[in-house]
Amino acid sequence: MSDTGTADAVVDATPSDAVASAPAADERLAYRSIFQRLFIRPEIGAVIGVVGVWTFFWAVSLNFGTTGQTQNWLDITATLGIMAVAVSMLMIGGEFDLSSGANTGAMGILFILLIKEVGELGGLGLSIWIAVPLSFVAAMGIGWANGVMVERTALPSFIVTLATFFILRGLKLGLSKLLTGQISVTFTDESHGYGFWQPVFAGEWQRNDHIWNSRDVVYIGFLVLGAAIITLAVCEMHFVRRDKLAASGLPIFGAGVAGVAAAIFLMHTTDGVSANILAAAVLGISILVGLYGFSTWRFEPQAAAGGLNLDGSIMPPLLGGLIGVGLASVASFAIDSDNAETLFFPFTVQGLRVVLMMILAGGGFTLLMVAGNKALKQNMTTKLVVSSLTAAALVGFAFVIRQSAEATKFRTELFSVLLFVALALFVWSVLGVRFAERRKIDEAADRTGMKAMVLGLALMITAVVLRHLFVVQAELDAGVNPAKFSVRMLWFFAFTAVMVWILARTRFGSWTFAVGGNAQAARQVGVPAARTKTQLFMIVSGAAWLVGMLLAFRLSSLQAGAGDGEEFEYIIAAVVGGTMLTGGYGTALGAAFGAAIMAMSLVGIQSARWNTDWRWVFLGVILLLAVIANRFIRDRAEGARR
Amino acid sequence: MKNMRWLAMLLALVMVAAACSGSDSSEATTDGGDSTEAESTEGGDEVVEAAQAGDLTFHMITHSDDGPFWSVVKRGMDAACSDLGVNCVWAPGVNDANQMVQDIEGALGEGSNGIAASLPDPAALVPALQGAVNGGTPVVTLNSGANDYQEIGALTHVGQTEFIAGQAAGERFNAAGVGHVLCGQQEQNNVGLTERCDGLADTFSGTVTTDFMDLDADTSAQQAAINAAMAADDSIDGFLGVGPVITMSGLRAADDLGRDVTIGGFDLTPELLGAINDGDILFTVDQQQYLQGYLPILQLYMFQTNSNVIGGGLPILTGPGFVTADNAADVLALSEAGTR
Amino acid sequence: MAEHDLLQLDNISKFYGNIIALEGVTTSVNAGEVTCVLGDNGAGKSTFIKILAGVHQQSAGTIKLNGEEVMFKSPREALDAGVATVYQDLAMVPLMSVWRNFFLGAEPTKGIGPIKMIDQAKAMRIAVEEMAKMGIDIRDPEQPVGTLSGGERQSVAIARAGYFGARVLILDEPTSALGVKQSGVVLKRIVEARNQGLAVIFITHNPAHAYPVGDRFLILNRGKSMGNFAKEEITQQELTGLMAGGAELQELQSELEEAISGVKKS
Repeated sequence: MSDTGTADAVVDATPSDAVASAPAADERLAYRSIFQRLFIRPEIGAVIGVVGVWTFFWAVSLNFGTTGQTQNWLDITATLGIMAVAVSMLMIGGEFDLSSGANTGAMGILFILLIKEVGELGGLGLSIWIAVPLSFVAAMGIGWANGVMVERTALPSFIVTLATFFILRGLKLGLSKLLTGQISVTFTDESHGYGFWQPVFAGEWQRNDHIWNSRDVVYIGFLVLGAAIITLAVCEMHFVRRDKLAASGLPIFGAGVAGVAAAIFLMHTTDGVSANILAAAVLGISILVGLYGFSTWRFEPQAAAGGLNLDGSIMPPLLGGLIGVGLASVASFAIDSDNAETLFFPFTVQGLRVVLMMILAGGGFTLLMVAGNKALKQNMTTKLVVSSLTAAALVGFAFVIRQSAEATKFRTELFSVLLFVALALFVWSVLGVRFAERRKIDEAADRTGMKAMVLGLALMITAVVLRHLFVVQAELDAGVNPAKFSVRMLWFFAFTAVMVWILARTRFGSWTFAVGGNAQAARQVGVPAARTKTQLFMIVSGAAWLVGMLLAFRLSSLQAGAGDGEEFEYIIAAVVGGTMLTGGYGTALGAAFGAAIMAMSLVGIQSARWNTDWRWVFLGVILLLAVIANRFIRDRAEGARR
Repeated sequence: MKNMRWLAMLLALVMVAAACSGSDSSEATTDGGDSTEAESTEGGDEVVEAAQAGDLTFHMITHSDDGPFWSVVKRGMDAACSDLGVNCVWAPGVNDANQMVQDIEGALGEGSNGIAASLPDPAALVPALQGAVNGGTPVVTLNSGANDYQEIGALTHVGQTEFIAGQAAGERFNAAGVGHVLCGQQEQNNVGLTERCDGLADTFSGTVTTDFMDLDADTSAQQAAINAAMAADDSIDGFLGVGPVITMSGLRAADDLGRDVTIGGFDLTPELLGAINDGDILFTVDQQQYLQGYLPILQLYMFQTNSNVIGGGLPILTGPGFVTADNAADVLALSEAGTR
Repeated sequence: MAEHDLLQLDNISKFYGNIIALEGVTTSVNAGEVTCVLGDNGAGKSTFIKILAGVHQQSAGTIKLNGEEVMFKSPREALDAGVATVYQDLAMVPLMSVWRNFFLGAEPTKGIGPIKMIDQAKAMRIAVEEMAKMGIDIRDPEQPVGTLSGGERQSVAIARAGYFGARVLILDEPTSALGVKQSGVVLKRIVEARNQGLAVIFITHNPAHAYPVGDRFLILNRGKSMGNFAKEEITQQELTGLMAGGAELQELQSELEEAISGVKKS
């Protein structure tokens, strides 16, 4: 972000046809900072959405962040996500499958009819060992038929699969009634092979049965270690490395690490507000000291940070931002947070207060960020001053939130999160003043940084997973809700991982992008376009089969309408995840995140006990924001590469 | 029948767009009685001719989609016609009011001796039925139409009032000692479902929270939404699902949370009846739609043969009947036979 | 005509029912030579390309590749024989990266057994190298093709054809959608491909583009050959005259000069 100006200048200096001019080696390589490179990933919109929606519901609901509700929204994410990932691949390949929703139910019902016991109202009574592959073959057949029909007739897949949708829907109802006289079909655990296959598709991990009392030590340890590694990785990719390391920084780094350890120890052994504040202060200072020491050891110092220069371009947004945050704080105290009276439809007084606070504070911090960006164009000292003021405003606002957390739905933890963000902002701009930012490509540093980043992320994810999978005795004593993690999440993760790999790394993946981006061109260079599309339809149908199995084993019964109409949710999740409706662009990972956003909204609105009449408004706004954000990112991605 | 089943199973495997025409014949032969024969007219309407030389012909014109609910109604009609020895015409309108108006006019043209009709869309149907009454053809409304049958001049209305059904459910929750009931809906904008929750709120002595959860098509989401709603409010100790699928979702959500929640539901499915039998669900409200097929024909017959009017002009309620652990097993058997 | 041309066409004709799309066309191209096929719209140029590319088959006449008579039944057959066609619409996927486009349909893979993945490092390296051979410095092989200029895109297509073993390169109107300067760039690419030993068939309706690079000129009009000349047998004036008559001469003259100066400058 910081060197946007430079990058633009380089772009402008490049002739529209660089080839014609004499090759000018590496100057034309517009350097992109680590943030810029992350920002143009197609998934980034969905990732920001996931973080944003999660934080939002976490902040307004005491329940949303608990293991029980995490399990709850992950559970819907799994089935929705499997389909969204498959559908996004098909959409990248330039086609739609409107039968995908009905197909999930159809596969489940077909499976149940195959294994249901023989009798007056029975099915075929086959073994599950036979029914599982048989229904899979049927799914492949449906996908194949969809693909071949789309290719042979050259009709839009929208129409062809709409026909398949009606046929499947009719078959589900017709066959269920014909064979069982009911609109729902049921099977029992007496079917042959149930003992093996039930855990495969519907196994559950009962959290409350898995006690691990030292969980939190590992959790905190992994989390802090992961965060530290990521921080250092970002530094590695952001600053200029020294040719010769400066050993003088190492003792300072060591002191910082010791300080962080001491702060964590202090937090865990003591109690009470003053001890906590002390621990937080120690932690903050230690992080600053440690990072400073590490950077001294490893990175080149900044030649000249420049003097403070708050000119006319910075002052208006800076002052405006501070005033905005101030007004938000005033609103927080001035308006009665307990007043649930309806002021004007649909707002209650307390609801209006929250909305007002969010608009004022959000606007204020946005202005402060604008000021920060403008300050960056001046020099690092100015940036430090603006960042410090922003951090101070954050701290102030954190105390306001803490004050009102007593009365409203805002969480007390939001206080510490805001403090931490303020700290990060401050530390980062201090380092920016002291050390030189990189402007050139350093592949070795990028590689080290990227590896460290992946390691750090893996550690943090492991930490969170462990925390949710295991319970400590204290939680049990406090009567924590049970949470059952279904094996369907593993299916979802595995499926997503395989599809991401296929899209990014295999010929089939390349061909998928090609047939969606320009099918004519793909055919001309020898890509088997018809086969590729047919295989994509088969992937969607295979995913529908998987979801059908997950549903059938979960419920032991399916009604004929299962899945009908769900196809649009899959498409929405894919689009929220950054897949282009016209094909040729998108990611499978993004679709998985898109599914998570939709699942979190569903559960979050219930957790916050909002009136669900507004659910569609919320989803509509999210869809709109996502599409706009994705468009913005795509344009930037193409622009940044010029 | 056996061969049919294998054939259909094959079709399912190959997933060819199959003609599921088999269902018609199976229905017609189930309840037709000793010597009934089925034949189809061009409108898809079925004429059931009784062996006795009855010269009365009644038309039952509904918005039926021939789904599980309406096929029970039809069986009720078939049984009445067979018992009374009259001719009956079943005209399913599949939620199309225009189709129903045409069927009504067609019935009058054929010189119908009585019309039993449902009123999903009063604005479209009331004038047509008023025309029938003014022309001297007796009319009975069924299923929906409790608010309009008097305006039409119908003999009576046979059906369940959703509000009263909800009220009765509320009394059940009172008796169970529940304090806070979550009333979960599987559709938004469905007046009937909302009336069920409103009725519950009317008689229930504790708190009622009404909310749309998710569609029946996505039971995972439905279950998760109920789970989240229950987790967000510890005081919830009752759940009323206004349909059978959402009721089962509520049961699973409560199980996941490990909460002791008293659950009631609406309508019948085998799983729901099984859960009641197992004691996991307290009750389900049964509107006994078999009667909605049987009673209108009986009323029309009594009027035409003896000028009797049942119910003194008030609607005849077929529900709420309740299925609880006491009678679940019996109802389950009857449900499999297709009359509940 | 050389005694043993790489690609020789004799009396090629194509009839669609009773419509004569192409009649009695004769020309040849040798390795390291450029043969230009000129003609106005509807002259039969696209039929000509489609026969050479294996999309259609000629109704009469013979095609000899390396002295052997051939008949391409599909685009794949033509490609396998080393006859590569760069179409006017470029056969590129704009949203995909340069290296993916370069290798599209023929990605190098690595892996064990059935689990095969694209050898990305190799593919990127080769794409950059091959483009460098054409004198183009690709800044970032991950760059989407859609962000390249028209001339650069043509260059990717030409480099791709050359890398995948093309001996004969057929270019379908590569300059028609480009500005003057961009056209100059593409003409330079044609010369470079020729210098690398490829036989190039350059289809165009613009004699000003054809004359500076061509070694041989075939002029088509309404499906018939108006002549097949070696460069020394014809001047640019005559070529232009044959093509379009005197009316547009002035206009073409100026365009021509611009293009030539553009080529020289780069």
